[in-house]
Amino acid sequence: MKRYFFEEPLVRPRLDEQFHVPIYRRASIRDVISIGFGLFVVSYLLTFFTISVTNLFIRDPMQVDMQNIFRPPSFEYIFGTDYLGRDIFSRIVKGTEAFFLPGLLSISVSTSMGLLFGIIAGFYPRSFGRIIFYILNIIDSVPRIIFIFIIIVIFKPSLYLIMTFVGVTSIPKVTSYIKSKVETLKRQRYIEACRGLGLSRAAIIFKHIVWLSCKSVLLIQATLGMGEAILIETSLSYLGIGVQEPTPSWGNMVAMGKDFFFQGKFWLSTIPAVVIMVTIMGLYLLSDGLNSVYNEKVSR
Amino acid sequence: MPKALGFVLRELFYTLLLILGVTALMYMLFNLMPGTFLGKGSGLKGYVDLIKRLLTLKFGVSPVTGIDIRSLVFPAFKNTVILTVGSLFISVIISVPIGIFSAFRGFKSYSWPFVVLSYILSSIPVFYFGYFVIYIFSRHYGYLPIYRPFVEVQRNPFITYVIPIFVLGLSNDSVSEIVRLVTNELNRVMGTDYVVASKARGENVLVGAMYEGILIPLISIVFSKVPYIIGGAVIVEYVFNWPGMGRLAFQSTLQRDLPVLLVIAFLSILIVRAGMIIKDILLYYISPKEV
Repeated sequence: MKRYFFEEPLVRPRLDEQFHVPIYRRASIRDVISIGFGLFVVSYLLTFFTISVTNLFIRDPMQVDMQNIFRPPSFEYIFGTDYLGRDIFSRIVKGTEAFFLPGLLSISVSTSMGLLFGIIAGFYPRSFGRIIFYILNIIDSVPRIIFIFIIIVIFKPSLYLIMTFVGVTSIPKVTSYIKSKVETLKRQRYIEACRGLGLSRAAIIFKHIVWLSCKSVLLIQATLGMGEAILIETSLSYLGIGVQEPTPSWGNMVAMGKDFFFQGKFWLSTIPAVVIMVTIMGLYLLSDGLNSVYNEKVSR
Repeated sequence: MPKALGFVLRELFYTLLLILGVTALMYMLFNLMPGTFLGKGSGLKGYVDLIKRLLTLKFGVSPVTGIDIRSLVFPAFKNTVILTVGSLFISVIISVPIGIFSAFRGFKSYSWPFVVLSYILSSIPVFYFGYFVIYIFSRHYGYLPIYRPFVEVQRNPFITYVIPIFVLGLSNDSVSEIVRLVTNELNRVMGTDYVVASKARGENVLVGAMYEGILIPLISIVFSKVPYIIGGAVIVEYVFNWPGMGRLAFQSTLQRDLPVLLVIAFLSILIVRAGMIIKDILLYYISPKEV
């Protein structure tokens, strides 16, 4: 039996039988913890991005200081300094710039195109749906990173371009969820009632299908898309084909610090790796919590 | 049996269609580049020629390094298949018991550490985890060797394969997802009336509920993870110096060697679609009406 976070009446009808249940009543303790942790991660990402854009409150992340190389974490340097004496904390704050706007670009591409294709394929599953799914299967069956490698060789390795293609490669997933949602929704009574009341097709699609029912799927997929964007950006920067060295990125900080790992100077690569881990874990937990609250079955 | 043969044939036909589509996409992209190499030509004739060469496995010579692509790619293909299959196996072995435990006992004090552990494993970056494991096992304790391609493999091929397969199996991001899936499905099945009645009669419900609830979604999600695991294999192969397809793809990216990348994309589609065919056959034997 699921334990609920807030007080509930003695006789509680089952969730799928109820007409409207407020979101806070649907959340179990586990959901509240996951969503809370996820919101914490989102808030510190936003704070870091704001700080790094405005250049307030932090040391210069590029400032070389040969007096203070390899300082372990202390009160003065919260996360220590690296092999050129640069402050690791301010480099981590600055490193959010590497994925933040490209990641937003990627999730906006994937959700908007996925919504468009999903609605078309859901309304016309026989004709347009088959063509759309054939094209999306082509994108889906090549492993994403090999696709990105080909893009890097053909065009120039700009992070915005790479993230656009990351967005393109996650269109198929969004499309299939939106399509199945639209296919079940269009046979529901209330959509029929809307049509009977003479609402325009645009109003039915955008208000009653997209806004009132597909919002949660899009929110979950956007959260997961941001996590994937961070993972791709850090991996590419680690491999050395993303953000290049003087500009900080969490991936190239791990790559730089791994050379000193075997000397016992573990904080150089461990701290960026832990930051990546906590951020991605927060986004995954946020999406799983939203999934269970909204009763969707969306997978990664 | 004719029905099984039918959907295998249908799947093969669809695979062929997909290969045609992917190569058409690559062909269009490659014609933006100057130079002459595999995957380059003019008009429909060049495209038909490219398809012929791919399907008869006559890839020719790489224009950058001058090495025969076939001798370069096929050993790497074998190594990547070993890495992918092994790490899929490890992921399932690790995550299914955690999911069953967490569903059967609820989110209690003795099951939540495992769930948290699954989230940590699936979100830790592979490139850091690899170095960490190398440091712990090879450097600090001296238990296992790091991958050495020539001498050590001939002496003991088993032990050098262990670390990379475990690292990729633990830290590809499917562990926490499989845990969540197994927990949800098992909870759903355990709450149904016939399972409750069977429990009241004193029967052992867990095995039946597992078979009923989680087997079909588990199989379909595990085989749909294959492209992501190949993506993770690129980084694991780079970290462990594993002579596989991902490392080859990375090297040919640095050398701007497009024909090798094209052949690698072709072969990885073959791996992904082979996974799909195996999934369909398994689902057919579990419940014939699903397919």
